[in-house]
Amino acid sequence: MEDLLTETVPAEDLKKFEKAYHEQLYKHDVTPKAQFEYAWCLVRSKYPADIKKGIFLLQELFRSHEEGQRDYLFYLAIGNARIKEYTKALKYVRSFLNIEPGNSQVMALETTIKKKMEKEGLVGMAVATGVVLAIGAAVGLGISVLSKKT
Amino acid sequence: MSAGPYNYSYIFKYIIIGDMGVGKSCLLHQFTEKKFMSDCPHTIGVEFGTRIIEVAGQKIKLQIWDTAGQERFRAVTRSYYRGAAGALMVYDITRRSTYNHLSSWLTDTRNLTNPSTVIFLIGNKCDLEGQRDVTYEEAKQFADENGLMFVEASAKTGQNVEEAFLETARKIYQSIQDGRLDLNAAESGVQHKPSQPGRNTLSSDQQFNKDNCAC
Repeated sequence: MEDLLTETVPAEDLKKFEKAYHEQLYKHDVTPKAQFEYAWCLVRSKYPADIKKGIFLLQELFRSHEEGQRDYLFYLAIGNARIKEYTKALKYVRSFLNIEPGNSQVMALETTIKKKMEKEGLVGMAVATGVVLAIGAAVGLGISVLSKKT
Repeated sequence: MSAGPYNYSYIFKYIIIGDMGVGKSCLLHQFTEKKFMSDCPHTIGVEFGTRIIEVAGQKIKLQIWDTAGQERFRAVTRSYYRGAAGALMVYDITRRSTYNHLSSWLTDTRNLTNPSTVIFLIGNKCDLEGQRDVTYEEAKQFADENGLMFVEASAKTGQNVEEAFLETARKIYQSIQDGRLDLNAAESGVQHKPSQPGRNTLSSDQQFNKDNCAC
């Protein structure tokens, strides 16, 4: 299913906003708008390296541009959730809710992240259980082979 | 029925667009939660909602992307238009400026979506009759001239909200039936999900449609 944490940016859009950002960077005059638009596309990339770069640019904006801080916190949460840094993502969600308690969009994001954590936690456990069972079976097999020999 | 991997047969992608403060998120919330959010902050970037509806006996999942109306988000939100099967274009009947900007929203929509995308115009806040700034007649005329479907609705009372979302879905479904919407096109905004093994597969469905075609 497609949602906020899985949809991806069309490649041509990422390219377009990357170009605009780099043109400004070349002139040493990057506007918060160009940096935000590029970062917003980066955190929606399918490549974790892009997402990490987007997070870096958003952190920079968060420090330097007070006006858009709620936007930056929101996309810092999304970016981190997308690279499975759930604890960090929830930290940004909480910072947001401290400033703006009860924001339904951010509370919905919090629920989505927590659900994802829960689901992947269970999957992780299932894999671990599988490994234990496999070892158990191998040991069991070994014992039976040994006992046959004797 | 429950044996299938999905409990719906189709996914339709919608976008909601329009000026800041016209009530896009409140319309979405009213449709998905059947509740009115009285204190709704400005949306950041895009919001996402889903609901499963039924059209002609088929379960359809609506995936709805609600875009922020603030200008600073507009450049990037354009990438969400692509592949939308339905576009709900919203203005506020009590604020004329939001109506005056419709042609710019319509241009964006036409440029970034398919010819088969269903565009539905919604005049929101029709519960505020005393503050009306745009008449029903002129908006209706604008809609007719541009081939758009149109209702006045209220996210607050819920009036016509269901109708707008459902009517859009019926029109999209009709386009599939008529063969005007190509399910195989990457950007049709529609995905087919066979819900039962051995039935409703893409090819048999299309065959079925052809047989039932009146022409």
